[in-house]
Amino acid sequence: MIPLLVALPLLFAFLLVLVDILVRSRRYKARLTPALYLLGSLLPWSVLLASCRDMPLDEMVGGWTRAGGIEVALDGYSFYFILGTVILFSAVSLYTIGRFRAGKEYSVILLMEAGVLGAFISRDLFNYYIYMEIASVSAFVLTALSDEKGAKKAAFRYLIFSLTASYLFIFALGIIYLKTGYLNLELVRQNAVPSKEISTAVGIAFSALLLKAGIFPLHFWLPDAHSKASTPASALLSGVVVKVSVYGMILLLYALPVTAALRRALLIVAFASIFAGIVGALSQRNAKRLLAYSTVSQLGYILLGISSGSIYGAIYYSFAHMLFKGGLFLGIGSLADAQGTKNLDELSYRGSRGATATVVLLSLALTGTAPFVGAYGKKLILAHLTGIGSFLFYTAALGTMAYAVKLNYHLAAPGRRGSIRTAVPLTLAALTLAFGLYLNPVLNPMDWLLLILALGMFLTLRKTLSGLKPFSFRPAEEFGREINMHMTIFFLFVLGMMLIQRLQ
Amino acid sequence: MKMSLVVRTTTKLMSPFLVAYAAYLMIYGQMSPGGGFQAGVILAVSVILLVVSHGYRSVKKRFRLKEVGAIEGISALGLVLIGITGIIFGGFFYNFLRGYWSGGTIPLFNIGVGLKVGAAFVMVFYIMLRWVESD
Repeated sequence: MIPLLVALPLLFAFLLVLVDILVRSRRYKARLTPALYLLGSLLPWSVLLASCRDMPLDEMVGGWTRAGGIEVALDGYSFYFILGTVILFSAVSLYTIGRFRAGKEYSVILLMEAGVLGAFISRDLFNYYIYMEIASVSAFVLTALSDEKGAKKAAFRYLIFSLTASYLFIFALGIIYLKTGYLNLELVRQNAVPSKEISTAVGIAFSALLLKAGIFPLHFWLPDAHSKASTPASALLSGVVVKVSVYGMILLLYALPVTAALRRALLIVAFASIFAGIVGALSQRNAKRLLAYSTVSQLGYILLGISSGSIYGAIYYSFAHMLFKGGLFLGIGSLADAQGTKNLDELSYRGSRGATATVVLLSLALTGTAPFVGAYGKKLILAHLTGIGSFLFYTAALGTMAYAVKLNYHLAAPGRRGSIRTAVPLTLAALTLAFGLYLNPVLNPMDWLLLILALGMFLTLRKTLSGLKPFSFRPAEEFGREINMHMTIFFLFVLGMMLIQRLQ
Repeated sequence: MKMSLVVRTTTKLMSPFLVAYAAYLMIYGQMSPGGGFQAGVILAVSVILLVVSHGYRSVKKRFRLKEVGAIEGISALGLVLIGITGIIFGGFFYNFLRGYWSGGTIPLFNIGVGLKVGAAFVMVFYIMLRWVESD
């Protein structure tokens, strides 16, 4: 049953391509395409609802043995990822309906859904890799399809770095296969003995996934790709595609011996990513770039959960991030599309009550305030931190609130007007509240205290902040040279991770 | 861009044999080295050779872009449908033809993958050439 989650979107993606080629009449095509697209993106719900009652489920595809087949599972590790993916894809499909010209764009979104769901259900490292690639390739295409200036360049940069990381990842999988003889997660776990080769593989695989997740020193492709893609595409990229690598890290951590030294290094990288993302977001003038830097920072929180041993914290926070960041990109993206600008000084949600409610609710969810969905994940992560870690965690929460306040401060000022449809992002905002009440129905006065503190801090520092130059990490002006520099950073990072994992 | 008569004649002679070899690899993929992907690449090469020697314009009259796209879509659809049919018999991708002939559903998958890969490679080549020849 579980593989149907992947098969159904895939089936409809291919049907859409065929309809695009074979159906001559334009009228039939205009009717068939949206119907097939909606079916493809909504049908995974039926599989999910039918099978979520008998969780945890575990299945060998095609009835093969565990050593030779592909294992898929729907359990505590993967359920919330899949739920978030299906929710966000349904929202995006309802949002995009009728907005694209050709059937091909729709079919790329369905392919991405199949790839992401396939990665989230897999318990086999190679199968995970394949589906991650399907999702990434659709992501490159969706980024490149955007009409905005510079989108092609951003897509090219994304492609180069993401594919390099993929090749390093498959190289690491090769080493793991060589040493253990298996690719199945459970069998790798039973057969992996700490050795130099396995250490190297773990270091390489982790750094490849860190690049694909857009964690700080390796985030250089993310702000451009996520902010220049079209509105639904950036919601999917920021909401779902980066989570695929988070799931991969969880799989690696489950199956392979990861040393304490590497965990500590990941913890430092996580904090670096949180604060770099905050600084980046605070200095941006472009609304979508602010959200993209916020993704870098939020992915840092998720990595914090993974490295401090709070796997479930990371999973719940990923789920929360899928909902609120997808919603924010849809909401602010539709605002930007309607008003024809992305500049924070000109954008305004004053004219529309729906947009105001959406952005305010989702900003509260972004800060992880208590009745909203992010609070539960943050609570779980915080429980695993001690001493300076929890101090830094609260400082980071303050910073997150500061840029959320900044976003709302600028949007609440009078600016351009334009009619927008906010039904879909508003639903996502309501869902963040509903899931927050379901998971963790308590109020935390600390959050509100921090929020008031952040508000005060922002209002006093407003002048200095608006004088800041938009932070961007660009070592060279020329495009090719810049890619070379970033590639050097990436390889130095890989070497560092390999050496750190070897320390005992 | 047309090449000399020698090249054109040789590629015309070669192409049918390449197709036959691709078909062999597809059909016997489950028992001998080979399989869908390799067969598909060889199938694509048979068309690509013609494109290189005769030029895109004359080849696309015989192998139309739309037909190539249709082959690609139909074979991909077939692959997913065979996988889904297995659910009736016991599980996704279950080999429900095991025992009827050698390999059960595996030759069907090889044929599907071969056609899909072949059509996709030809399509990639067509689209790049369309872009090159337009300027």
